[in-house]
Amino acid sequence: MKRNPERRLKYYVLGFYLLLLAGWQLFFGLNLIPDYLFPSPALVGERLWDLGADGLLWPSIEATLTRMAIGFGISAGIGLVVGLFMGMNRIINGCLGSLFLGLQTLPTAAWVPISLLLFGLSDRGVYFVIIMSSVAAIAIATSHGILHIPPMYLRAGRTLGTPRYAMPLRVILPAAFPSIVTGIKLGWTLGWHGAVSAELIKSSVGLGYLLQMGRELNDASQVLGIMLLTILFGLLLDRFLFGLVERRIRIRWGLEQNN
Amino acid sequence: MDALPVSKVAAERSGPGLVKLQLRGVTKNFESKAQPVQALQAIDLQINEGECVVLFGPSGCGKSTLLNLIAGFETLTAGEIRLDGQPVRNEPGSDRLMLFQEHALFPWLNVLDNVMYGLRWQRPYRFRLRARRRKAMDLLRMVHLEEFARSAVHELSGGMKQRVALARALAPDPQLLLIDEPFPALDALVRAKLYIELQEILVRTRKTILAVTHDPREAACLGDRVIVFTGRPGRIKAELKVDLPRPRDINQREVAEHASRINSQLESEHETEPGATT
Repeated sequence: MKRNPERRLKYYVLGFYLLLLAGWQLFFGLNLIPDYLFPSPALVGERLWDLGADGLLWPSIEATLTRMAIGFGISAGIGLVVGLFMGMNRIINGCLGSLFLGLQTLPTAAWVPISLLLFGLSDRGVYFVIIMSSVAAIAIATSHGILHIPPMYLRAGRTLGTPRYAMPLRVILPAAFPSIVTGIKLGWTLGWHGAVSAELIKSSVGLGYLLQMGRELNDASQVLGIMLLTILFGLLLDRFLFGLVERRIRIRWGLEQNN
Repeated sequence: MDALPVSKVAAERSGPGLVKLQLRGVTKNFESKAQPVQALQAIDLQINEGECVVLFGPSGCGKSTLLNLIAGFETLTAGEIRLDGQPVRNEPGSDRLMLFQEHALFPWLNVLDNVMYGLRWQRPYRFRLRARRRKAMDLLRMVHLEEFARSAVHELSGGMKQRVALARALAPDPQLLLIDEPFPALDALVRAKLYIELQEILVRTRKTILAVTHDPREAACLGDRVIVFTGRPGRIKAELKVDLPRPRDINQREVAEHASRINSQLESEHETEPGATT
């Protein structure tokens, strides 16, 4: 009985997207806007196919994902360590916490001009934007997770004889793991925003570059196609990779029921 | 704090390891803005080796505070706590290990790794993974959960979790086992079984135990001696011996009789809520 409404919801969602696509096609058929400004789903698909056939698509996806892997890896490392110190020291938390909260209000694209000034057109500038976009979210989530560890884990760790120096690695970080994963998931999304924004301006390969190229060619179907692709890859990694890991951890930590 | 005559302490130690835990004048005040609150007032208590003593009293009477002081989670305002004749370190440790109301098992470790956890910090086991594993498996066998060694904590039932927590607490071979409200979140049937299992393990391992409860039946079921506590400030009101053979069933008539005897000690006090626990 419990599974049924869940499955029905999935059908509704599927139906919604089909309807959306049909609506798009229908609107296109009305011919209100010229097709070079508002292409049909078929035209967008065709353009993506051509890009793929020309060997432009895959290297761009690969380039953006590689930049993310490197930039985000560095960012996660820094964010975790800084977050650990924030979580264990009230003064550090007060100072850096407010700074990071402030930085988080900055749109990720706003890091692009300063990265151009600092790094010119080199790839390091893209890494810089990725790191600056995501590091604050990861650090804040880590420190928040540590500050909200159920006290029973800390007490159990201590009474079982864990020496003070071993607490961070053996008890504190593992106990804070669910919020750390949530922070990493959020950081990934922000880093993804940052990566594509940076590529718009300063790159000769990557999803952002293809977007910009589409605009320069006045090719709306390329712009829309790359936008859809960016959403797709962002979603794929966010929901399916990090989302699944997050859920499994939350179930294991007893924060969520498996149903 | 250390103003005790040395000869007296030495005299108590000269018995063949009889006195395990010795509290003298243990006092705890909590600082608050208005005025300091006295949680415990000059507690004197002695627990012998292999004895199971239960602190019984209404909630908020300071009995849990006393347990926290002994475990090293709180610092004394005055008085002294000695374990095996030595003043205890002002720091928690596995020599006086606390078993919590919530099982507090680590979800990032599986059942076996949870039981092994405390052994890691013990000198003879420090770098000996295999010895740790062997000891942990022995303990899991004792609580009849050896086939769940590789399970994740969330896959176990509430009663099983408590048994794993007990195995984990026994692993570092604590001098003193402190139990804060045994098995509160379980249903009555599972609890009744666990009480018997706990007693069997106690008899077998000859552990010295100090437990805290507000349930008179639980006190009568588990305790060799029951210390009745009253609150504001927390102090010892009475002490009763429970001379029943073990393992005792919590539903046994004799246990119920002892329970009402224990409870009447509290009810003679004017301010207790009538019929709170009987």
